[in-house]
Amino acid sequence: MPVDGSSSFQAARLRHTVLEMAFAGSAVHIGCAFSIIELLAVLYRSYLRYPDNNPDSPARDYLILSKGHGVMAQYACMRELGWLNDSHIYHYFSDGSELNGLSDSRVRGLEVTSGSLGHGFSVGVGIALGLQRSASDQKVYAVVGDGELNEGQIWEGALFAAHHKINNLMLIVDMNGFQAMGATDDVLSLGDLRAKLESFGFAVRVVDGHDEQAIHTTVRQLWRSDLRKPKALIAKTVKGKGVPFMEGNNRWHYTRLNEETFAEAVSALGISQESR
Amino acid sequence: MREAFATALARFALSDPRVLLLTGDHGYALFDEFRAKCPQQYINAGIAEQNMVGMAAGLARVGYRPFVYGLAAFIPVRTVEQIKLDIAHDDLPVVLIGDGAGFVYSHLATSHQSTEDIACTRSIPGLQVLSPSDRTEMTACMEYALASNGPIYLRIGKSDRGDVHQAPIDPLKAGQILKLRSGRSDRPGLIATGSMATTAVAVAHSLELNVWSAPVLKPLEHQPIEAAAQVSRGLVTLEEHSIYGGLGAAVAEILSEVYPVRLLRIGVQDCFSKHCGTHAYLLQEHGLDADTVLKRIVAFCDAG
Repeated sequence: MPVDGSSSFQAARLRHTVLEMAFAGSAVHIGCAFSIIELLAVLYRSYLRYPDNNPDSPARDYLILSKGHGVMAQYACMRELGWLNDSHIYHYFSDGSELNGLSDSRVRGLEVTSGSLGHGFSVGVGIALGLQRSASDQKVYAVVGDGELNEGQIWEGALFAAHHKINNLMLIVDMNGFQAMGATDDVLSLGDLRAKLESFGFAVRVVDGHDEQAIHTTVRQLWRSDLRKPKALIAKTVKGKGVPFMEGNNRWHYTRLNEETFAEAVSALGISQESR
Repeated sequence: MREAFATALARFALSDPRVLLLTGDHGYALFDEFRAKCPQQYINAGIAEQNMVGMAAGLARVGYRPFVYGLAAFIPVRTVEQIKLDIAHDDLPVVLIGDGAGFVYSHLATSHQSTEDIACTRSIPGLQVLSPSDRTEMTACMEYALASNGPIYLRIGKSDRGDVHQAPIDPLKAGQILKLRSGRSDRPGLIATGSMATTAVAVAHSLELNVWSAPVLKPLEHQPIEAAAQVSRGLVTLEEHSIYGGLGAAVAEILSEVYPVRLLRIGVQDCFSKHCGTHAYLLQEHGLDADTVLKRIVAFCDAG
């Protein structure tokens, strides 16, 4: 895998890794991973700093995957970085293996143990507070799902972050419109999320979560915005993005791939054999 | 005892800027000294315990030493999952303080009373559980917690019941119980924790019983419990906590495996408080007052 330059973290290749893992491990949550591919690609390629490519560097930026269900997207990026190898991918979910189906802090490169929702964001607030107290310029990105915003703990953390002007923290909402049992609007409507976050005291931007150039620009704008405020990026995304028969189909929160759907999904990515 | 806690914490904070106090909007007046001496290390996280515990994990991960303070009904009980996933899972050096454990908030009823916190925390992997019974043990527990460099739950129960130690004690060790008084080997030995240690000493006097205090509830090692059983005739545990999952359960687990003897667990039965009243009144309601305890121990002696 190429690990540097603009050729790294290609969205189609990241999705291909996710499909390979999901097929190898008969794993679920493909749709949850696909909606955050471009977001993670931009962060890893352009924003997250890992001195010496060391995921444990005390000087690193922190990517907190609070919506642990999307962890295969992060694994795919970690493969690009050389932190995971083909064995990790092709032996996903095999007995005695290391990588779980939700973010687990014991894996080098993953920061939190999430999946029980709402936890990761608070841990991220604490890390950001600690870094701010140490006058560090390190940044913390916390990726949450829109379904995860049902959790009261998220709003506890939001109150604290705004009150304490934690400005090295960026909350990234994967707004794919679905949660486990249906559309977020049908389960527990979030209403005007931008207005909610602004009223909590965040600097907020909304972006097309699959437009890498727009994500790149908006993240930069957010860091340059009001210095007294924590940041929030609302990324409008499509659950299952990248494979037409998965897009906007919440079945792919739960469904496992078979040989046929795996081949069809890989084919839909439209990537050549050599770029995989 | 609470003064000993606040004094130790302020001392730690003064000597180490990494020490932080997080409170869930509790501890009125308790932290005046801390706030005066180390205002930058005091964080009132608001009435938001789940976020507070998660943040403590984050702070610990970037090098801080958080002490998280709340009432035992909230820290740890309300936040068991955050303690499990965010702190214990990563073996982080966070000290969780649950104040007012047992029936301290006797007039405020069920929401503020806590008789299940030891049970909730004992089963979390790697989390040590401390329960001092007087100011001497409190200071020792705080030193132990700071030195341990891992996750700790420190339970503070009724704190104005006087001293059980008349002299300084050695630094605490994991698994150890502390002898408070020596008694007859043909009668039961008492092992008490927290607020019930003073009751145990009072009751033991007339009956000439052995008494130990258990400030470290987890880990509790086999050898000291077995040794206590060997110099007594049966054991009695005393705690202001449920008989399920607390000190009595821990001692029963050990005895049944290594040294089966008769055991009487004195604690809260499977019930909430029924009435409003003073702490002393509620102890009576739950059969934890000195008279009832004495009668139960006498009956236990007679039956053995």
